[in-house]
Amino acid sequence: MKKTSFCKLSLHVVLAASCLSAVASLALAQAPGDSKAVSASKVERKNLAPVSKEILKVKLPRPYETTLPNGLTVLILEDHRFPLVNVDFTFQGAGALWEPAGQHGLATVTAEMLREGTPTRNSKAINEEIDRLGASFFASAGFGDEDAGAEASGLADNLDAWFPLTLDLILNANFPADELANLKQRLKAQLIQQRQQPSFLASEQFSKAVYGSHPAATIAATPESIDSLTPEKLAQWHTARYAPQTTLLGIAGDVNPQELIGKLKTWTAAWQKTSFTPPATPPTSVVKKRRVFVVDRPNSVQSTLAMGNIAINRTSPDYPSMVVMNQVLGDGPAARLFLNLREAKGYTYGVYSRFTALQYAGPFRAGGDARTQVTEGAMTEFWNEFHRIREEKVPDSELDDARHAVVASFALSLESSSELLNLAEERKLYGFPADYWDTYPAQISAITADDVQRVARKYVDLDNMQVVAVGDAKTIVPILEKYGAVQLFDLQGKPKDLAPVEKKNP
Amino acid sequence: MNHRNRHILASLLLPVFAVSLCAQSAKPTSTPKRDVQIPIQQYTLKNGLRVVLSEDHSAPTYSICVAYDVGSRDEKPGRTGFAHLFEHMMFQGSQNVGKGEHFILIQNNGGEMNGTTNQDRTIYFETLPSNQLDLALYLEADRMSSLAVTQANLDNQRNAVQEERRLRVDNQPYGKTFEVVYDAAYDNFNYKHSTIGSMDDLNAASLDDVKAFFKTYYAPNNAVLALVGDFKSEDALAKIKKYFEDIPSQPPPPRPDMTEPPQTAERRKTIEDNFAQLARLDINYKIPSYDSPDYMPLNVAMSILGSGQSSRLYQKLVKEAQLATAVFANAGARRATGLAAVVALPRPDAKPEDVEKIVYAEIAKLQAEPVADWELEKVRMRYRHDHAEQMSSTRFRAVQLAYYTVAWNDPNVVNTEESRLDAVTKDDILRVAKKYLTPENRTVITTLPKSAKAAGGGAVN
Repeated sequence: MKKTSFCKLSLHVVLAASCLSAVASLALAQAPGDSKAVSASKVERKNLAPVSKEILKVKLPRPYETTLPNGLTVLILEDHRFPLVNVDFTFQGAGALWEPAGQHGLATVTAEMLREGTPTRNSKAINEEIDRLGASFFASAGFGDEDAGAEASGLADNLDAWFPLTLDLILNANFPADELANLKQRLKAQLIQQRQQPSFLASEQFSKAVYGSHPAATIAATPESIDSLTPEKLAQWHTARYAPQTTLLGIAGDVNPQELIGKLKTWTAAWQKTSFTPPATPPTSVVKKRRVFVVDRPNSVQSTLAMGNIAINRTSPDYPSMVVMNQVLGDGPAARLFLNLREAKGYTYGVYSRFTALQYAGPFRAGGDARTQVTEGAMTEFWNEFHRIREEKVPDSELDDARHAVVASFALSLESSSELLNLAEERKLYGFPADYWDTYPAQISAITADDVQRVARKYVDLDNMQVVAVGDAKTIVPILEKYGAVQLFDLQGKPKDLAPVEKKNP
Repeated sequence: MNHRNRHILASLLLPVFAVSLCAQSAKPTSTPKRDVQIPIQQYTLKNGLRVVLSEDHSAPTYSICVAYDVGSRDEKPGRTGFAHLFEHMMFQGSQNVGKGEHFILIQNNGGEMNGTTNQDRTIYFETLPSNQLDLALYLEADRMSSLAVTQANLDNQRNAVQEERRLRVDNQPYGKTFEVVYDAAYDNFNYKHSTIGSMDDLNAASLDDVKAFFKTYYAPNNAVLALVGDFKSEDALAKIKKYFEDIPSQPPPPRPDMTEPPQTAERRKTIEDNFAQLARLDINYKIPSYDSPDYMPLNVAMSILGSGQSSRLYQKLVKEAQLATAVFANAGARRATGLAAVVALPRPDAKPEDVEKIVYAEIAKLQAEPVADWELEKVRMRYRHDHAEQMSSTRFRAVQLAYYTVAWNDPNVVNTEESRLDAVTKDDILRVAKKYLTPENRTVITTLPKSAKAAGGGAVN
């Protein structure tokens, strides 16, 4: 299900430059069109291209579902198009959200250590075997997540070799002390590396701001909390929380479900049911005050902006309305934020909005990166768009487009069996009925302009917006101060004296 | 353990027509190996546009990729970054499509799209539900035939591209390292400069440049259209003819001289980075182009050296010596002289030069002793897995078919690459390791955190 990004550290140099991409200074001030002489670069619809008005009706395949005697829930999507099998474990209640105070990293490190040793295989043997079989294995327990996860994939023709290996790692990991010591050193270096990234610094402040005392406020371990981890603590966490009755196993690909279930019973026979039940997720609450946070990142040539507040959980009745509202406002290159801040103003490579809806209510979040000297204009336009979606009813044609976009895109998920599996798992984990995705298009199509305005007013809350900016503090603090009293932080996330940056810009 | 059965495919060859999407291996075993084969039909329109079709009705979707035979290697001094800036202009409107309307039409009809530029090609792609087949064909044809550019839109996209440069390069740790690597390793300007280009050159680009570039490179005879997915080939071909065949061809564009003089001595440079808190080591060797017989052995060698957690460098540097937090190696697949790269992140307490010594010791082993059987086996298995995964996306298939046709005039590379990989022997690896992974053929760039003294100064160069 929802897992943190695989890519901790991108070693791969990006050679290709592309036209658009993920969410987002002083360098060369002479860029044409910067401030003066902005002749109109306007988005224009000619409506001449041939478009089928019909939405292709698609029905998502329903997975084979069963529960094994030990309580393990299994979903299988049969897909013989390619000789591949994807396997996805969700260990409910084993995510970082439940880590005891002072032990941040416990859930993540437990997951990462799964491939570092079992009674019958050492780390080196595991790595060689996975690679020799052409398989892959990745386990994680992201910060803020209720659940831990493990994903494995491989070829169908040697499934009988790599699937049991995967299960050996998950069930029998023994957390060797020397491998843990080595991993701790790497993790501590990664803590340093992630502070190089403006996106990490923005997310760190944003999570602290919106979640407050909720455990999802933490998005990284500390050197001290990593030092506190021991093989015994990992083993204890693993034994307690990787239990069959709280695990969802999703499988998609070139398999025969009946045959595979028979094998799974044998392979997981030793995995005993326990009394563990996933704890109830503590609720989050909306911050009732607008606050502004700036992280001073010297030499920055862009401001990395993030703003929002706690919105809804996954089972909220407002979910479909939020999907449509967000589609209009900030989801993708045809949304208002992108068309305004990039295509009309040229402030950014891309700005977007999204919302996180889990068992607990996560935040609505809008943001992106804009060069330092247009930070003020970018903030103004974000605010204008927030204001507009709250105060003006979405015009019919734009509403139609947004609903159409959401519903029509379902056809694309049929290409990918792992995407279909994710949808099936989402339905299962949130307890939705078996026909949830069959009725979802109708739910989206029923959303009205009033619905959109209602959720915008409720969740795009200007009075209580939490605003984060990472960049060159001396230039941007005076701009951000217009939105509220600024709290300044350094690269380590520690409070920093505001006086020196204020003095320069009275 | 089932035995791999690798020559079946090579013999199935499929010049034009192909079998099913996934052909069954001929040798029956209990768990038969299935190979992924992509059916291919090729046509050339009267105006020179090459068309590659690959029908697949397993999902109600299709992808189109239009690849143009132009990349940053075609750029002239003073205009770096132009091929990519131009790519952005292709979303700024044409005779029958408004500025930004491309995004809107694709997204609102449930699709996905993008364009990307690299040294060797520029590609545009869309994926849509199959009932919208006309839409993407129309959009691609309209901008191929009648791109409409204005000064205001050029200025707007110049800003967007300069923000992209800041986002990916100027505001990131190690963001400029790759530019230093290319600049130091290459002598020929075509690959020496970066695709994203310099701020000054981006500022210098004019509307006339855009118009001339369009006329020279964006002609049908300099492009390939690949269409993959849920359509009937006959219908699709008729529609393609209807939308594209009237676009006039142009004289063939000039081809860049990609000759790279042989390197005779090691090149080495240390740079300081404004944002990095830890050092990074980049070691690059010049290697021949993808179509060279030596490329695939180098690809296998670099993979054994540094791809994945069982690789020699990961085991040595990260696990045994514990000098690095991460290491990675690969052999870049280019149309002309490429680079085989080793990138390592030394631990905070480790010296980059100690990491470097271990890299060279491991390369020396590759040159002295044959690789192990299991190492060859894992490279082949990994390829089968990755290839099957990539091919499950119509977009990936379309991009590969279009690119291979632009680069090698042969979309079947997508089906024949595996047999090329499987043919690599231990002797091949010894030979290419000795020939290319030599001190005089390497460029070593060390990126260091900016020293406290210099902090607050200008940018890294």
